[in-house]
Amino acid sequence: MVDIALGTALAAVGAGVAIGFAGLGSGLGQGMAAAGSVGAIAEDSDMFSKGIIFSALPETQAIYGFLIAILLLVFSGLLGGGEGLSTTAGIVAIGVGASIGFAGLGSGMGQGIAAASSVGAIVEDDEMFSKGIIFSALPETQAIYGFLISILLMVFGGILA
Amino acid sequence: MADEITALLETVGITPETFIVFVVIALVVVGAVVVVVTTRPILDIYPYLNPNAKVRARKGRLLTEKQLSEIADAKDIGEVENYLSGIPDYAPYLEKYPLDTALEVNLADNYNMISRVVPEKVQSSFKLMSKKVDITNIKSLISAKDVGYNVQQTKDLLIPSGSLYDLLEPLTEADSVSDILTALDGTEYASILEDALPRYEESQMVLELESALDKYYLESLLNSTEVPAEENSQILYSYIGIGIDLSILKTFVRAKQDGLTYNNISPYILTDGYQLREWKLKDLMEANDVSSFVTYLEGTKYSEFLSDALTEYEKTGSVTLFEKALDLHLAESAKSLSIKKPIGIGPIIGYLNKKETEIRNLKIIARAKKETNYPVSKIMELLV
Repeated sequence: MVDIALGTALAAVGAGVAIGFAGLGSGLGQGMAAAGSVGAIAEDSDMFSKGIIFSALPETQAIYGFLIAILLLVFSGLLGGGEGLSTTAGIVAIGVGASIGFAGLGSGMGQGIAAASSVGAIVEDDEMFSKGIIFSALPETQAIYGFLISILLMVFGGILA
Repeated sequence: MADEITALLETVGITPETFIVFVVIALVVVGAVVVVVTTRPILDIYPYLNPNAKVRARKGRLLTEKQLSEIADAKDIGEVENYLSGIPDYAPYLEKYPLDTALEVNLADNYNMISRVVPEKVQSSFKLMSKKVDITNIKSLISAKDVGYNVQQTKDLLIPSGSLYDLLEPLTEADSVSDILTALDGTEYASILEDALPRYEESQMVLELESALDKYYLESLLNSTEVPAEENSQILYSYIGIGIDLSILKTFVRAKQDGLTYNNISPYILTDGYQLREWKLKDLMEANDVSSFVTYLEGTKYSEFLSDALTEYEKTGSVTLFEKALDLHLAESAKSLSIKKPIGIGPIIGYLNKKETEIRNLKIIARAKKETNYPVSKIMELLV
């Protein structure tokens, strides 16, 4: 069995939480936006490009989660074979993962619902495009907060030091 | 710090590995709770996303008020057809059928589309609505044979749509009403018509058969969403219920204008409506004329807007204005119900009502344009 420090193992859990929950939110959101887009495209093929834009919006949460997970894996010594993390830093790493994971989950789902509704509104009235983009972008902020706090926790929690 | 935590864990008899297991279990539990709580609303929303987008796309293509008034301004029926031929939603239908049939087939196709795309939980009601065209066709066949129309005249009355069309189309060659009823054996309408047959044979009025079919349709529709448990079905139930009540009221208004009594109309009316319960319907049947009928309605939510229509009716004596008031109320109800569930059944109800209203308006315009010099202002008065 590979000898892994407790802190590093905890960081691995944090990385899993980060990408797991953020990916779940992103997947659900993207699924909802795509379901709405397919319905719109079935009625109006010109909606393809707009549908793609709205379906791609909830992808960002998974990207944030993925980035944080990679950073945790690299700086905890799991990837690249560096020095392992202390137990305290490992506990901080779980907070890092939870921060972006749960924020990404809520943000992704919210964005998916808003994007699906926007697609419906645009296919009904083309002038709704810019308003739809604005409303669909709003739930992104929660993911950004989660991402920022994750970075701050890593910097000041001794992981990125 | 780490040593202190390790020491602390060891003092309570927990090894670092056990601690990790506890942390993982705690995270799994918290995660599971979060996922269950947050995804529950998604499960309600998800099945409606695709159908909502589809109906909203069609809603965006509905005729605007400006287009409708342009159509109403048309010189004759040919101009109406030309105008609608330039609208992609109507063009393919007008290439195949005359205007009246094209409108009916267009509406029937919309019912079919909706019944195909809506989630299973509410599908039964929409499937029933799509059967309306079958009932209309059976009624047309029966009426045509009763008055002795020839094959072509009968065929012209049929709407080439619905699940029974292939069965009904050859029946245009039937010799009598009873031949049609025999041919319908094995369909869900056979027993309904069989029950009404003695009354028809006695009175020789096709109304007996037609009203039996209408009553069966409305009862099935009302029962299709009975005791709805979830919000989308409740909203649909309200919409269907209001529609049924208004359709009962339309029958009442016509009956009261013709001076029909309780005994005359009771066999043709549902025994129980949505808001109009059995006792209220019995009360309404007792009304002597249209004015007292509106008075009897007091205490129901339908009384207010009919009181306004009554003033107009007393001036003109036309029940059409009553029917317009009822249709307007249904449109307003559909609008308020549709915003209750913007990602759900709402847009579907909103679209369906608007489409029905559009077809209703176009049929009014088409009828008016068949008459010479029918004033545009009068047409506009009749439009919803």
